[in-house]
Amino acid sequence: MKIRFWQKTYILTLILFLVCLNAGIISLTLFTHSRSVRSAEESAGAEQYYIARSFERDLEDMLALGEGQSPSLLMTSYGTYYAPRGVFLAFEREGKTVFSSLPETVEAKNGTLFHKDIGGVRHIVICSEAGGYKMIFVKNVESLDREFHALTLTYVLTALGVSALLAAVLYFVLRRLSRPLEDLQKTTECIEAGDFSISADESGKDEFALLAHSFNSMIGTIKDQMSALEENAEKKQMLVDNMAHELRTPLTVIRGYAEYLERAAVSEEERISASRYIVSEAERLTKMSEILLDTAYIRENPPEMTQVSLDEVLRGTAERLSGKAKEKKVEIVCEAQEVILTGNALLLSMLFDNLADNAIKACREGGRVVLRCSVGSASVEDNGKGMSSEELLHITEPFFRTDKSRSRAEGGAGLGLALCKNIAEAHGAKLRFESEPGKGTKVFFDFTT
Amino acid sequence: MAKILIAEDERAINDLIKLNLQLVGHKCDQVFDGASALEWALSGQYDLVILDVMLPELSGFEIIGQIKTPVIFVTARVSVEDRLRGLKLGADDYIVKPFEMLELVERVKAVLRRTKGESEIFEFDGIRVEFDTRRVYKDGVEVSLKPKEFELLSAFITNRNLALSREKLIELVWNFDYEGDTRTVDVHVQKLRQKLGITDRLKTVYKTGYRLEI
Repeated sequence: MKIRFWQKTYILTLILFLVCLNAGIISLTLFTHSRSVRSAEESAGAEQYYIARSFERDLEDMLALGEGQSPSLLMTSYGTYYAPRGVFLAFEREGKTVFSSLPETVEAKNGTLFHKDIGGVRHIVICSEAGGYKMIFVKNVESLDREFHALTLTYVLTALGVSALLAAVLYFVLRRLSRPLEDLQKTTECIEAGDFSISADESGKDEFALLAHSFNSMIGTIKDQMSALEENAEKKQMLVDNMAHELRTPLTVIRGYAEYLERAAVSEEERISASRYIVSEAERLTKMSEILLDTAYIRENPPEMTQVSLDEVLRGTAERLSGKAKEKKVEIVCEAQEVILTGNALLLSMLFDNLADNAIKACREGGRVVLRCSVGSASVEDNGKGMSSEELLHITEPFFRTDKSRSRAEGGAGLGLALCKNIAEAHGAKLRFESEPGKGTKVFFDFTT
Repeated sequence: MAKILIAEDERAINDLIKLNLQLVGHKCDQVFDGASALEWALSGQYDLVILDVMLPELSGFEIIGQIKTPVIFVTARVSVEDRLRGLKLGADDYIVKPFEMLELVERVKAVLRRTKGESEIFEFDGIRVEFDTRRVYKDGVEVSLKPKEFELLSAFITNRNLALSREKLIELVWNFDYEGDTRTVDVHVQKLRQKLGITDRLKTVYKTGYRLEI
């Protein structure tokens, strides 16, 4: 069985309280009782003393009157007088009972006081000398026990009432005090189930609120780290997926057509088209591996640097791509100022060819691509379809394509910009993208001469 | 035998699938983007859709929920999650690029048998093959075939017009664990040719194996 903290507190507090309360009540009862016993004894003593003295006096007086008077008569009158008042007397002389109004025989020594149960009722017995007799004084103190019982009953009832009240109040107070802890526990359960959107209640100023606060900041940290990890994993998965697609598509074609040629009785026409597919896909794979190798090569080996005229590079790019631009009915313009920078002309041509090629692909019919350069920066601008800021974040990742279906009718494997980025880095330069969907894209090549 | 819609944006692969499925007797239509794939599939005239996951406009995952036709996914993605997702969405099968054509043919056949109760009878040249009763008739007269001979015949019919290597035939008919000689195949093929008189149909393909040409 699991006992909660508040339940433990509750049970322990309740037990402690009940023990204290009952101990208090019991000792109080006992104390009160012993006080009343003592006072009953005192008053019995006083009464006995009074009876003994007056009996002595009366006996003396009677004896003084002369002979023939029987002391037993006096005793009888005392006995009958006191009996209705709950006091019984017995007189003994030399071991013999002379008179007794006692309900039953009581043995007692001179000068003693004790309690005796007679017929189920408490009596106080006092024994002393009175006028030469041993007088046994027995007083009914039934009220003493009655009082004690009444007192006990009152105390027990009070104790029960107070205990019940305490149990109830304590229960609610503890439940209330431990509520934040329970809430916190529920929150952790939610988090365990993977729901990180939840947060603990921080209201209040006690330890629970402090705990909730640190708990929440802990969740925040975990959430951040998880999303960073997830993002990373997603990125890697995307790279793998994209690479798989780029490799598996040509492989499927090559394998499939080769198999077809092997298995089917093909016509001459089919044989030619199948072989063409195989060759073109093999070429595609070759090209892809070349770009990958270039990218790796540039990263590993610093290119040979000379003084390069950037405007010449741009003009060369514009010239090389003019044919492709014309085919798509896109205008390509070069507005280059004379700029010299230290770099590798071949790599720079590769970079701008790539950027310009992308720009042309982004344009619709009648679009316009402008190549510019001035000191510190060169740019390729188009007024094509543009990209969202989300896409801009990923475009230099290898195998990233803005076209989710990765259609190959237009566009390559998504390696171009990754290569461009490496070329730029080899030149100590940076690629910067500005784009707006529907309006166009501007790519800057920021360099230091 | 069945009408199949091929939705694959890569023309080379789309053509390839079509060529192979046509060879084994299916009728194929081709679409190259998600929107037309959905539109055509909704026409309800197809027994099966071969659906690429990464299609322009609408992805295969988006399409499958909207159509009732059986679907075989084709994808280059290999992650288990993708595979599970495809099957959870109700795909009947899932094939990963690059795939062997015989495997595709085999899976198409399996799905059609499951979903359509693909025709249990095949007829050519006066030969009638009943797959459910495993009986073969030539010009109305029953021809008695041994179990392995029948299995061999049905493998040839399933993959008709495609050459099957002896190793492949052993795999299909005698299962993988058979360690016997590939000569066994030759003997059985010879028997089939004799019993059914299909020597000119069941051809030996140079350096490859055998092909049933219909």
